[in-house]
Amino acid sequence: MKTRMVWLAGVLLLAAGFSRADESFAKVAAEVNPKLVKVYGSGGFKGLPSYGTGVLVSPDGYILTVASHLLETPDLRVHLHDGSRWSAKLIAVEPELDAALIKIGTEKNKVEDLPFFDMAAAKAPLAQPGTGILAFSNQFHIATRDEPMSVMRGTIAAYARLHGRIGIFEAPYTGMVYVVDAITNNPGAAGGIVTNRKGEILGLIGKELRNEQTNTWINYAVPLGASLDIRLADGTTAKISLADLVEKKEKYKAVAKVGKGAGGGGYLGLLLVPNVVERTPPYIESVEPGSPAAKAGLQPDDLVVYVDGLPVVSIDMLWEMLGKYRPQDRVQLEIRRGDKLQTVSLTFEVPPRPVAPSPPPSPTALPKGNQP
Amino acid sequence: MRHTGLMGLVALAMAIPAAAADIDPLLKKTEDRRVEVIRKVYPAVAAVVTGGGSGVVISPDGYALTNFHVVAGQPPTLKCGLADGVLYDAVLVGLDKIGDVALIKLLPKVEGKLFPFAPLGDSDKVRTGDYALAMGNPFMLATDFTPTVSFGVVSGVRRYQYPERGMFEYTDCIQIDTSINPGNSGGPLFNMNGELIGINGRGSFDKRARINSGVGYAISINQIKNFMGHLRAGLFVDHASLGALVSSGVEETAQGRVSVTAMIESDASRRGLKVDDQLLYFGPRPMTSVNQFKNVLGLFPKGWRVPLTFKRELDNGVTERKEILVRLMGYERLDLNNPNAAPVEPKPQPERPMPGGPGRPTPGPAPEKKGPTGPGAKLFEAKAGYANYYFNKLERDKLLAAFKKSGDFTSLKGAWQMQATGKLGDKGRQAVVVLRAVPKGAKDANNDLLQGIFDGIDFSVEPLAVEVSGQALRDPPGSGGLLVAFFQLRQLLVYGEKGFVGNFSHGGVEPYYPPPTEGTKPDYLALRVDAQILRTSLGGVNTKWFFHLNGQLLGLEVTLDRDEDPCEVHFSEYRKDASGRELPGRLIVKYGDRDYAALRVDGWKLDDK
Repeated sequence: MKTRMVWLAGVLLLAAGFSRADESFAKVAAEVNPKLVKVYGSGGFKGLPSYGTGVLVSPDGYILTVASHLLETPDLRVHLHDGSRWSAKLIAVEPELDAALIKIGTEKNKVEDLPFFDMAAAKAPLAQPGTGILAFSNQFHIATRDEPMSVMRGTIAAYARLHGRIGIFEAPYTGMVYVVDAITNNPGAAGGIVTNRKGEILGLIGKELRNEQTNTWINYAVPLGASLDIRLADGTTAKISLADLVEKKEKYKAVAKVGKGAGGGGYLGLLLVPNVVERTPPYIESVEPGSPAAKAGLQPDDLVVYVDGLPVVSIDMLWEMLGKYRPQDRVQLEIRRGDKLQTVSLTFEVPPRPVAPSPPPSPTALPKGNQP
Repeated sequence: MRHTGLMGLVALAMAIPAAAADIDPLLKKTEDRRVEVIRKVYPAVAAVVTGGGSGVVISPDGYALTNFHVVAGQPPTLKCGLADGVLYDAVLVGLDKIGDVALIKLLPKVEGKLFPFAPLGDSDKVRTGDYALAMGNPFMLATDFTPTVSFGVVSGVRRYQYPERGMFEYTDCIQIDTSINPGNSGGPLFNMNGELIGINGRGSFDKRARINSGVGYAISINQIKNFMGHLRAGLFVDHASLGALVSSGVEETAQGRVSVTAMIESDASRRGLKVDDQLLYFGPRPMTSVNQFKNVLGLFPKGWRVPLTFKRELDNGVTERKEILVRLMGYERLDLNNPNAAPVEPKPQPERPMPGGPGRPTPGPAPEKKGPTGPGAKLFEAKAGYANYYFNKLERDKLLAAFKKSGDFTSLKGAWQMQATGKLGDKGRQAVVVLRAVPKGAKDANNDLLQGIFDGIDFSVEPLAVEVSGQALRDPPGSGGLLVAFFQLRQLLVYGEKGFVGNFSHGGVEPYYPPPTEGTKPDYLALRVDAQILRTSLGGVNTKWFFHLNGQLLGLEVTLDRDEDPCEVHFSEYRKDASGRELPGRLIVKYGDRDYAALRVDGWKLDDK
């Protein structure tokens, strides 16, 4: 018995050394891949891909991903590693962590026993700089259906505070991140994961950001254990974390940070064209059925030019102005339709659940035929 | 200045032993092995100076692979540097525009001197997560041609990357995070055994302007192996299409499945593939996505026959499963905006191939063709449809020399007769067949007469007569043109190249499937043998000849119309006649899906005048 144990230990040692030093990450890659999904949603423009990546965090189909424009569609879809195709719904969003939880499967069409990453890993100690990593994502939409995720190899270069921006906007998440030397900053990689060389999850690959100071692209991952202290309007502090988002699921409530739209905003049901340049004119892309905007007769291609008599020149400006209203408030918009100016009155409503991620950028759904 | 340099050296010298002591022995061993592998393959890596790319020597006589986009627009004579620091002359041999592959040949400085070369690996064995080494000359960095080595992992296998303007469709390619940059194009990707697994040529760059973004693609060596026979024969290779549009299912929870949504007249349609059929296997691969369908299609040159398995729901609810052997049609003939597959997945931004060198625009499809110069010029012959006709003649003559070993028939210019017994026609009745070719003495063979007796019924045709009818050429009915096939055989054996007008060229290498044993379900992948192809034309009849690599004639296909099935004649059970000439003892004739005849030869009678 004893000899056998020694022999076994020898074999285990050998095996461990084997995977550490050379050969291949094929086995690890094969174990990690089934826990990742391909996400398809809105987008499809330069700089706004209509595809992304997500990671299964429960056997019944909850998927953690980034809070991006991708999710702003009623027609969100997911491809599992076995090639099956699912509709997905948005469960909860935490804008401060730039993360979202989506889910596949319904009462009628249940999913169960899916391979997943346990959020218990969020409690693991931080990985140190120098740790070898693997990065998994569906960057560039290289894989469809049952084709596996792209795998990259690298090292954690630093554990540092994120100072990133998307275009002209400051990145929503400003907490600590793993900076890696694998090139994870590619279209569609957001929502993918970084693991150690054993395939244990370390963090979530974030959006394509540039460093605020150097203007270079940042390769980073938000640690799974990421949490932030948020100061609320009433002066108290709330702790938010990815683990909390995943644990509370449907019950998760995003907290409103001080200073963001003093009125707390209201709901009009407007979807604007993608906010791609600094002063994108606020053209309406579509109007949600049954919304205040629909009731007021707003139409796609209308251009908003005045809000309660004040001129508005960009999408940012429009969102900022609308953010000051509250539900039940009335607002008068002047819009240009064709070559005529028209005035419409709207009443803000309470936003329907779930709340979509914070406005900018705010693109629209892809035309039907172009979706997987 | 001098002091600083010295101090630097001292510091280095001190650092080395300290580091070595700390290194895990296993890590050290791995590192040593990696260095050893690099040392071994290093001499075979080429800097393709003309075109500003990279390449790799794959045979001791100097054949080397690179990208089409490296040599496109360049003269057919090239300059290539190897790690030995020597700049060699080279000549273009074969081109695959769609697959972005070019075969070139380096010329030794001393006649007969052998080149270092890289062995070909098996890219089907490459796994995601394996380490991979890329070598080449990024940014034309090394003026002494010593290659740059980069090291990374395989990020994905069996990847599909959309074509760009009908070129550079990377099918079944290997995705790597190994750094490749402008100038790496055409260079080798090695596994950690130092075997060549791919040719680096493309990347996804997006916002990084053609500089490594961790997403490079290498053309898999197994795909190139399929085209190698064509490339060596100096061809300008065409890829394949099936003649069917496919899409994958979009139903909720549906697994990826690939179904036919539209078809054009093609071999696939004649073999029975229909709209709504679900593809199960294409070649050896299961069909789970449109990408995978296109991956498999990209593996084959035009004209190859590949097994295809599909499933069909019949009206009565029964599911029918069928396997067919499909002759793939060409790619270039089709509208490139509407190729074989309608992707339902969102189409990614087309990725660009890397330019040959820094600051150099991607060469287009040969703007102005400059003539050959230097020592390579005598190995070049221009001809439409060929990259280099010189190499076609070279391979063709090698093939004919091997074929000649089965006997010299050139003196047998008289009448030829073959008598055989066996099964004939649909019902497979036993019958006697006599085939006779009678020369009428005219210089151009225009009055040669073919006669055949099939189970007592006489047929005759003058195959080269001006007024010959299409129907007569297809006699006997149901054979697709057996009489004409017999005539073609005599022409080749007696006259060789002089017996044909128009085309008499090497057609590369194709799979050949001997007829399966009667009544058994054919296992095509097991039956398959590689055959060298000779293509001939005479009097509007195109014939494709299949030769075993040892030179023995396996069979032929006579095509009277491109949109029609050929008459296939398969030879076996060769026997020597009294003069030592080898002649087949068994013939199987097929037309479309049917066996026309399975015959045992009773006797050949070949007259010399």
